[in-house]
Amino acid sequence: MLNGITIGQYFPGDSLLHRMDPRVKLVLTFVYIFAVFIPQNWIGLALAVGFLVFSVAVSRLPVKLVLKSVKPIIPLIIFTSALNIFYVSEGVHLFDWGFIHITTQGLVTAAFIGIRILSLIAGSSLLTYTTSPTTLTDALERLMKPLKVVHLNVHELAMMMTIALRFIPTLVEETDKIMSAQKARGADMESGGLMQRVRALIPILIPLFVSSFRRAYELATAMECRCYRGGEGRTRMKQLHMNGMDGVCIAVLAVLVAGLFVLNFVIPAAL
Amino acid sequence: MPVIETKNITYTYSPGTPFQMDAMTDVSIAVEKGDFVGIIGHTGSGKSTLVQHLNGLLRPTSGQVLLGGQDIWAEPKKIRAVRFRVGLVFQYPEHQLFEETAYKDIAFGPKNMGLPEEEIDGRVRRAAEFVGLKPELLEKSPFELSGGEKRRVAIAGVMAMQPEVLILDEPTAGLDPKGRDMILEQIKAYQQENGTTVLLVSHSMEDIARVAKRVLVMNKGRVAMFDETAAVFSRAEELTAIGLAIPAVTKVFMMLREKGYPVGDNVYTVEQAVGRLLPLMKKGGGTDA
Repeated sequence: MLNGITIGQYFPGDSLLHRMDPRVKLVLTFVYIFAVFIPQNWIGLALAVGFLVFSVAVSRLPVKLVLKSVKPIIPLIIFTSALNIFYVSEGVHLFDWGFIHITTQGLVTAAFIGIRILSLIAGSSLLTYTTSPTTLTDALERLMKPLKVVHLNVHELAMMMTIALRFIPTLVEETDKIMSAQKARGADMESGGLMQRVRALIPILIPLFVSSFRRAYELATAMECRCYRGGEGRTRMKQLHMNGMDGVCIAVLAVLVAGLFVLNFVIPAAL
Repeated sequence: MPVIETKNITYTYSPGTPFQMDAMTDVSIAVEKGDFVGIIGHTGSGKSTLVQHLNGLLRPTSGQVLLGGQDIWAEPKKIRAVRFRVGLVFQYPEHQLFEETAYKDIAFGPKNMGLPEEEIDGRVRRAAEFVGLKPELLEKSPFELSGGEKRRVAIAGVMAMQPEVLILDEPTAGLDPKGRDMILEQIKAYQQENGTTVLLVSHSMEDIARVAKRVLVMNKGRVAMFDETAAVFSRAEELTAIGLAIPAVTKVFMMLREKGYPVGDNVYTVEQAVGRLLPLMKKGGGTDA
């Protein structure tokens, strides 16, 4: 029943994007998210979208997969675009009815916003598709290291994230098993009113909590048995390395950002 | 007429995705009323998948499951009724306990059946007695009980539904030898007293040899053998070929026979072995024993 849930969207592969240093990938994704908001004209926007299409091609991910990632936010895009259509009152009025005005400028703004959100989501999903959750946490840990100055224990935070991610599939499996066991005893989870359905969850949630605590204790003992003492002086099995390709990627994105700024000066703004 | 029967059932996990996998292929078995069937096979041989089809937790991708001659999926909305007639005790059933007291937990199944209060009470006490739970334990929280006691509470929870067919998936897993012997004896006693049909899934040939009348051997999602216990164990070589060990006693006796001792075949429990060896030893042994 719960088989359909995939946690973390990592899609294994061996493309340039998969092999990139996760820290670089993470930072570049953030830069790209900001870059999407730089262009004020169609050509700049086309360039930003073009870069995304190029990245998807390089990643060799099925295009369908990337499209799937933007599907859940389509209602949001429609909502924000609609707001823009109705709230922008500059430009040629195409339609007026009471307080509602639809203008050319409104349509342009709506399109810009829609395309920006789409690229933003597709761009960040590219990161999660090409980076396994554990690698991503590793990268986060490295990048957040400076926060030690403000006494934030970055290592523990990252360890907690890693453990949480690791146990999601285990818990899904466990939930499935408990649900089957209670159904075998005639538990009815598919019918009845709201209260009845909530009550029907008790036989599933209690065993699930109990077993989570059991697992937590066992894991803590196992970690202690292997002399885990926190992040102090701990070395890593997988060292993160930047190589030439990462440099090239940084350069490409830098050029893109610079180009977008320049285009804003050269071409009159569409917004 | 068999009480429960499967007709060419096949089950495919995640069909239409890259993760598609056949867990079970073309399984047809028929179990007569009052039979005690042992189901054995490797991890991943499809035994757990098979038993979850028998009470309608899984729906076969193709094929039919018949209970009392009727397709259990004829009316999918009434599948719950099937689960009361075919009781399934999962592996490590103690992990599913949730009520405040052991009594309430055992009563969960009968309560879902909508039985009257007195009937539930009678069933709970009877089931607890069958699995050897002392009455005072019934008022304790299931989380205060020992591992073996928890297991018994969970098994009693299914027995209290008084199903026509009782299926147990590895009921002795993780128990010490004493606890294992007790549970097996209790299941056997329950089966004999109530005439319930019992299917017992196990890794252990020894367990199966002790209690089962018939044995179903699963291999790679298919039925490899389904026959009387003696007949299955006599095919020792085939069993070994699919990676299953015959009971240790049986192995010893096969070796004895090879050495020329007149011990006969079909020995698969220690009791039988004693019965065969004592007369030989009284005679003063064969050669140089």
